Amino acid sequence: MELRVTESTDTELSIEIAGEDHTFMNVLKGALLEHENVSAATYDVNPEQSGGQTEPILTIKTEGGVDPLEALEDAAVNVREKAISFREAFEAAA
Amino acid sequence: MMVPVRCFTCGNVVAEHWEEFDERANEGDEDPEKVLDELGVERYCCRRMLVSHRDLVDVVSPYQ
Amino acid sequence: MTEEYDVEFVERGEREARFLVRGVTPGFANGIRRAMLADVPTMAIDTVRFVENSSVMFDEQLALRLGLVPLTTPPEGEFGEDETVTLSIDVEGPATAYSGDLVSNDELVQPADQNVPIIDLKDDQRLEAEADAVVDYGKDHAKHQGGVAVGYRHLQQVEVVGDLPEFEDEESRIVRGVIEDNGELVPTSEFDHDLSNRYPGKEVEVEDVPNAFVFHVETDGSFSVEELVTRAADSIESRATELEDAVQL
Repeated sequence: MELRVTESTDTELSIEIAGEDHTFMNVLKGALLEHENVSAATYDVNPEQSGGQTEPILTIKTEGGVDPLEALEDAAVNVREKAISFREAFEAAA
Repeated sequence: MMVPVRCFTCGNVVAEHWEEFDERANEGDEDPEKVLDELGVERYCCRRMLVSHRDLVDVVSPYQ
Repeated sequence: MTEEYDVEFVERGEREARFLVRGVTPGFANGIRRAMLADVPTMAIDTVRFVENSSVMFDEQLALRLGLVPLTTPPEGEFGEDETVTLSIDVEGPATAYSGDLVSNDELVQPADQNVPIIDLKDDQRLEAEADAVVDYGKDHAKHQGGVAVGYRHLQQVEVVGDLPEFEDEESRIVRGVIEDNGELVPTSEFDHDLSNRYPGKEVEVEDVPNAFVFHVETDGSFSVEELVTRAADSIESRATELEDAVQL
């Protein structure tokens, strides 16, 4: 997983996450939208229209003075915890 | 030629059941629907793989 | 912040299972489903060296057939990305070569099904070949896809709201999946998927239960259903951890 920041301000961040597809990006976007200081989050897997760019680009807008990169980190932690608790719940039933 | 190993649509391994299906429904006179049910080939994508298949090895082998 | 998930099995077998998950968002359910299909690696034959092939099919055709035979996949970490397992096959006609004729040099990697016909051999025809199996992902080739027909549906809540008018003809009401009736989980196959069989003369309302999904999971025999689901969850977890580490730098 390689990250490349394409645009960055205090409240807005566009970041390319190489090697990922809808499987992870959609879950990550969902987790970002659950974050209380994120006002907008979306991703675009950029089909061929954009000059050969095919890696997904994640765009985050925050409010309340939160650094978008921090929000991204929180979301990653959230996804990880979700995956772990899903696995634990599944193993408990199995 | 030979029966496809997996269902084109869902990827289930159907070749496993071909010989029994062929024996009972094509060579024998059992109802293909019942045979497929008993073999556990549930989905219609997998069922068509067996129902519509024709072995061609015997047909082409003289021309080798 | 962690959600409480609740998992309950509805049907369960070695290769096929249905289970209900409560408290899961549609996005996360889809992530798990996609991970089961594309991101859980399995063993499959990738390279074949033919010593002799005098059958009626070409080498390439047989190589494809051999590749599609599911092989049991050893536990995670047992095999690295570019380690291979060699399997050999040697059958002389008149006979049929089966997947069960494949001889593996590793006990952990064996054909999951024994009765898949590879090629029908006539008199004087022979198949002798050596094949290398590798671990790879479902997104690269369908032969590495461990999950078959993996999907989910909303759990549906059925409620009796009254009686049908006395002289009205009963109409069938088809639902598929699993319904919840007073906390009891009932697969619709039990009443031929028709609610009018289960509630004759009653008027019923059907509603999706929010954030409750019934997964249907089937595997090709590479591993058990439990293995597939836990590995899919692990794959999402490892990517989240990777992102977390990458962001911290």
